[in-house]
Amino acid sequence: MMPIWTKSGKKHAVTLLKVQDCHVLRYISKEESGGKTSKLLVGGKNASPFYKSESAMEIFKEAGVPRKQKVSTFNVTDDAIIKPGSTPLYAAHFRPGQFVDVTAKTIGKGFQGVMKRWGFKGQPASHGQTKTHRRPGAISTNKAAKVYRGKKMPGKMGNIYRTSFGLKVWRINTVHNIIYVNGSVPGHTNCLVKVKDSKLPTYKDCNKNPPFPTFFADGDEKLPEDLYDEEVFQFTDPSVTYA
Amino acid sequence: CRSSGDGKPAKFQPPPKPVIIDKQKQREERRFLSPEFIPPRGRTDPLKFYIERKDMIQRRKVFNIPEFYVGHVLAVTTADPYANEKTNRFVGICIQRGGKGLGATFVLRNVIEDQGVEICYELYNPRIQAIEVLKLEKRLDDNLMYLRDALPEYSTFDVNMKPVSRLDHEEVPVNKLQVRMKPKPWSKRWERPKYNIKGIKFELPEKKMKEAQKWSQPWLEFDMLREYDTSKLEDKIWHEVSEELKK
Repeated sequence: MMPIWTKSGKKHAVTLLKVQDCHVLRYISKEESGGKTSKLLVGGKNASPFYKSESAMEIFKEAGVPRKQKVSTFNVTDDAIIKPGSTPLYAAHFRPGQFVDVTAKTIGKGFQGVMKRWGFKGQPASHGQTKTHRRPGAISTNKAAKVYRGKKMPGKMGNIYRTSFGLKVWRINTVHNIIYVNGSVPGHTNCLVKVKDSKLPTYKDCNKNPPFPTFFADGDEKLPEDLYDEEVFQFTDPSVTYA
Repeated sequence: CRSSGDGKPAKFQPPPKPVIIDKQKQREERRFLSPEFIPPRGRTDPLKFYIERKDMIQRRKVFNIPEFYVGHVLAVTTADPYANEKTNRFVGICIQRGGKGLGATFVLRNVIEDQGVEICYELYNPRIQAIEVLKLEKRLDDNLMYLRDALPEYSTFDVNMKPVSRLDHEEVPVNKLQVRMKPKPWSKRWERPKYNIKGIKFELPEKKMKEAQKWSQPWLEFDMLREYDTSKLEDKIWHEVSEELKK
């Protein structure tokens, strides 16, 4: 995470996400998947092919791509389909000023008690409490005569998929394929993360001219090394002054 | 004349050339790498530090950040939208330098009209217009937080102080000043060996000083897992930074 300053002098914290060897693996049509839109299977970071069975490696062989550490599905409209295998996906697929949702597995905390997991208040430390300082207390009423499903109790915490919505993209580095995303992102450092266009209704019309269906490196467009949002203070400029 | 053992005429040996030690070159050999360039020990990808360093070097090309240590007296002018002339100048002694990378900070302390004021500035904040070093002197410690519990005369610096001229670009002078403290209680127990402070003149009784040594942890200096040898990293980063700045 890094600080980033706007032209008005405000500081925002930014998370760096690197796009590492992403390829499209398979196209699943609407009828095949049974959903509302067609899907594209996308694979992430390269990994060793020796630790998976032959049947698992079939998808990668079909696409002609080394084995990927993580495979995820994206619901795509029919005009945004990309041919599997040949085209790699780059960070320039996103543009500064866009809003993005980021999904990842949260840091696993193991088996945790009810105070850390659900934020219960526990009991006082003194004044006669016998062996009861971090316990949940009562778990149901008398009339119910049962414990409801989903009652908050101790258990394994973390290591589940969670999403942070509506994160602004401040800057993109096309050489190293890095996306600078506002705020924090679930997961530990160097964990694998899924980045999608935001589903929030306030940011529905935010993408002005995104590269559609994706950014092709061998195309005509030659992008500069760094793409900044309009409000971002670039370090080549002189210091900020208020006129 | 010398006669050689062979009987042949002695080969003319030219006298050894005088070695000219250029004092200017010796001066440039003194290296200073700002401590925020050295990455902390952790599991972060080195690519992130490389990209952060590029940004830091870019900012240093546009805006000069002078070499300074804890104990220097600095004057910082920042852009302030609510001030009369839109600029704000603060003079103070640097008591602490913290943070790594772009978020590096330094805290300046001064006593203005009997009120102690500490301001934490970010080195790479674009609102900073100028940083001037008014007085160069290193102190005995890395962290001068104990000035909060010292007599106020040690933290007062004139706001309109003139920059003290520096003669040689040689060593930075070390001020071995022993500071006198206000009566206890202090904000932290500075006599304890954990803080390892050499710049205070402790006027406490012997018994208290001996009792403070009870909290010493003499095994810490032999702990190998705490060692972080940064010499090679520093060399590499210093070469990279100096080459980029020369361009």
